[in-house]
Amino acid sequence: MSFPTRRAMLAAVFAALAAPVLAFDGQSVTDATGREVLVPLNPAKVFAAGPPASVLLYALKPEAMVGWVMAPKPVDLPYLLPETRGLPALGRLTGKGDTLNLEVLLTTGAELIVDFGTVNATYRDLATRVQDQAGLPYVLIDGSFAATPQAIREMAAILGVEARGEQLATYAEAAYAEADALLAQVPDADRPRVYLARGPEGLESPARGSINAEIIERMGGINVVEAETRGLVTVSPEQIQAWAPDIILTVDRDFAANVRRMPEWQGIPAVDQGRVYLAPGEPFGFIDAPPSVNRLIGLKYLAHVFYPDLVGGDLEQGDLRQEIADFYTLFYQVTPDAAALDALLGE
Amino acid sequence: MRLSLLALALVFALILGIGLGPYPLSPGQIFDALTGGLTGGLTGAGDDRQAQVVLWNIRGPRVISAALIGAGLAAAGAAYQVVFRNPLVSPDILGVSAGAGFGAVLGILLGLPVMAIQLMGFGFGLATVALVIGLTLALRGGAQLLVMVLCGIVIGALAGAGISLVKLLADPDEQLPAITFWLMGSLAGVKRVDLLAAAPAVILGLVPLIALRWRIGLLAMGDDEARAMGIEAGRLRFVVIAAATLITAAAVALAGVIGWIGLMVPHMARLVAGPRFDRMLPAALLAGASFMVLVDTAARMIAPMEVPLGILTAVLGAPVFVVLLARGARAWNG
Amino acid sequence: MERLTATGAPLLSARDLAVGHGARALIRGIGFDLHAGRVLCLLGPNGAGKTTLFRTLLGLIPPVAGKVLLGGADLDGLSRSQIAARLAHVPQALASPFAYTARDIVLMGASVGLGAFARPGRAEEARAMAALDRLGIADLADEDVTRLSGGQRQMVLIARALAQEAQVLVMDEPTASLDFANVKAVEAAILGLAAAGQAVVVSTHDPGQAAMLGDEALLVSRAGVIASGPVSDVMQEAALSRLYGLPVRRIEGPDGRPHFY
Repeated sequence: MSFPTRRAMLAAVFAALAAPVLAFDGQSVTDATGREVLVPLNPAKVFAAGPPASVLLYALKPEAMVGWVMAPKPVDLPYLLPETRGLPALGRLTGKGDTLNLEVLLTTGAELIVDFGTVNATYRDLATRVQDQAGLPYVLIDGSFAATPQAIREMAAILGVEARGEQLATYAEAAYAEADALLAQVPDADRPRVYLARGPEGLESPARGSINAEIIERMGGINVVEAETRGLVTVSPEQIQAWAPDIILTVDRDFAANVRRMPEWQGIPAVDQGRVYLAPGEPFGFIDAPPSVNRLIGLKYLAHVFYPDLVGGDLEQGDLRQEIADFYTLFYQVTPDAAALDALLGE
Repeated sequence: MRLSLLALALVFALILGIGLGPYPLSPGQIFDALTGGLTGGLTGAGDDRQAQVVLWNIRGPRVISAALIGAGLAAAGAAYQVVFRNPLVSPDILGVSAGAGFGAVLGILLGLPVMAIQLMGFGFGLATVALVIGLTLALRGGAQLLVMVLCGIVIGALAGAGISLVKLLADPDEQLPAITFWLMGSLAGVKRVDLLAAAPAVILGLVPLIALRWRIGLLAMGDDEARAMGIEAGRLRFVVIAAATLITAAAVALAGVIGWIGLMVPHMARLVAGPRFDRMLPAALLAGASFMVLVDTAARMIAPMEVPLGILTAVLGAPVFVVLLARGARAWNG
Repeated sequence: MERLTATGAPLLSARDLAVGHGARALIRGIGFDLHAGRVLCLLGPNGAGKTTLFRTLLGLIPPVAGKVLLGGADLDGLSRSQIAARLAHVPQALASPFAYTARDIVLMGASVGLGAFARPGRAEEARAMAALDRLGIADLADEDVTRLSGGQRQMVLIARALAQEAQVLVMDEPTASLDFANVKAVEAAILGLAAAGQAVVVSTHDPGQAAMLGDEALLVSRAGVIASGPVSDVMQEAALSRLYGLPVRRIEGPDGRPHFY
């Protein structure tokens, strides 16, 4: 760094003139909002603005994390790198109602804020405002599922971990290719009708087109919840009866355990045929929660749930367990043993 | 008489409520499923069995719950308006809804089973009102009613702050939506077992209100007047508050926070049956039940997604209320 | 109008009564006996404790000292419904947030004594109509009381007390804020009740009215009881001057009635 580039000089001048931006060796990137942002090279301390960014940051450069958005639950800890387990929960910046105090953020010494998710005017404005206020560069990357390989590469370039990014992006591309190859064998008539149950009663569900249920459609399933919104809705058991889904996915352990005994769920094909699946959620969800790169393993999981005949068996058979172990090793740098895999798959 | 018209309206609402839903059932199927279920439980096969599941496990409990909650909230509101001598009072005045809401969202935050969430809602609702009454007695102000209402507002605000805190602490992906939906009120998740648990509390609250309805009406004249007419006003008011609290806490535990009904239906009843509490209470019970069943039917028919009841009661109730007021503001002291 | 003479046991008595809130007495040393058919007028400036005395007579607050006897029984030992059966209250104004009809209001009085779970039936309806009829306001039965004039509302309240069929009526400034015609109508009603054997306690700010209505008078000020006894003895210039703290003159009108100014 002893030969300051012209860009760094400019940055220093800019910092002196405009805002308390740290003077550093930086690179200029154009983020998903079209804003040109000057970011430090190989940043050592990075804050993720929301849960999706948090997962991506963890996967690419866990040593740069300054904290979590929300503290990981005790059940998540065995699946996380030991050095990240004790990081503080700092709160979130994304969306309405921040729970993060910018002063707290500044005390962490973060050099950069990264966000990964929806790109719209609100988030663009939020990024600009936080950047001006905190004097920290704020980069937003498009979080749509289809663009995941691209997003991984972009984020890796910003974080200065291009090699690792290439590795993960390649995995993502392979996962999509595999899914497409599988779907090519499935006629439209064989696509399962799927209901994603959330909430303690299983009556909350992301509607078709929602980011939270995107992966179902990506894997060829038909999300039965067709509503006027693309967000989370409440539905009645009667409506679910009318939809008659073939498969019910859930992220709620109680619901998964009880649904067979709940009278109002009787007669639904998925319940009658025992095709209710509790999607693994540690340390990050397979389906969403948050909608980030953690969903890549969800593709493989859903392949077994949706098309057991085509992938050599359901959850117990076939190569799913190995696939999960490989994914965790690659993305989370933790290799689950047989017992951990059993716990994940709820056995 | 007008009361029989209201009874007819309730029958109509119940038929509509049982007959309409997102799961398509023909009148014949409904009749068979109802009679079949009465005689021998869930016996049929295929479509018949499905019709029985829908009617006996889902739609039936839901319609009955709607009727019970509508009647209960309307009765509680009517009684409170008399006891607090103010036509703008609703069953929430002593903080029961806020308290029950706080209990339930706390249950959601702690990840408790549904039954425990409902119990926490119920328990916190009762405890909130007990706290308000205890505080009122401890302060022993001259204007007891005013002190009580102010205590209710204060404790209710505290419970509201508690709800906000829970929202802040909740997992934004999983719990926060559940909390938000729950606070807007819905009967979508009502099961037969929920109904069986909540119904006794609502009925237990309704019995004294109905049995004592003439005496309760005298409280509208004020404490001194009522006492001069031979009524133990303080004791009677306590009975009414206990009964109304029981009803409202059970309703909130069962269906979440449903506003408007307890405020509006008593006015509708008064316009129909006059201000005498012993006459307007039956009208309020019938109108509350009918209105709630219709609103809940709309909540599941308008769209595949459930529309929260709190939104519908306000959207449907406000125009009805305005029309009624325009037609006869007479019975409402103007 | 002919006055009944005091016969039999008194219906309402005060014995060395002190009234006030808590332990603090506003007025001490009150004593009177009120018999059937007699009217006791209570005079005093605002704040002297007239309303407190009324609330004590109604048993709404306990006496600070002494006792109230209702039909010879200590008020302390009577239940609310026992008191209501013997003593009816006519409040200063009708305070209802709801638009009751006159019949609804009077029916409340007629239903005093009904069991806890009972509702008024034909008998109570008849009692209520009889009370309205007796005061000549049967035509107001189905009127919304909030639409009635002040005087009409006062008559409805008197009818409610009548329907209670108690022997003693306690009326708190029944003619306050009424126009002249209504004052005369209410006065006539009070005299009519007394003539029919009712014992009446009535408070007023008008010495002339007291002299005209009352058989007996009780003068209370912040200093305590000024005078008590038959109207002709009590309603004198000296006592009234002390009561109101300014010189009061009494003259006989052409009709032989006293007037005060």
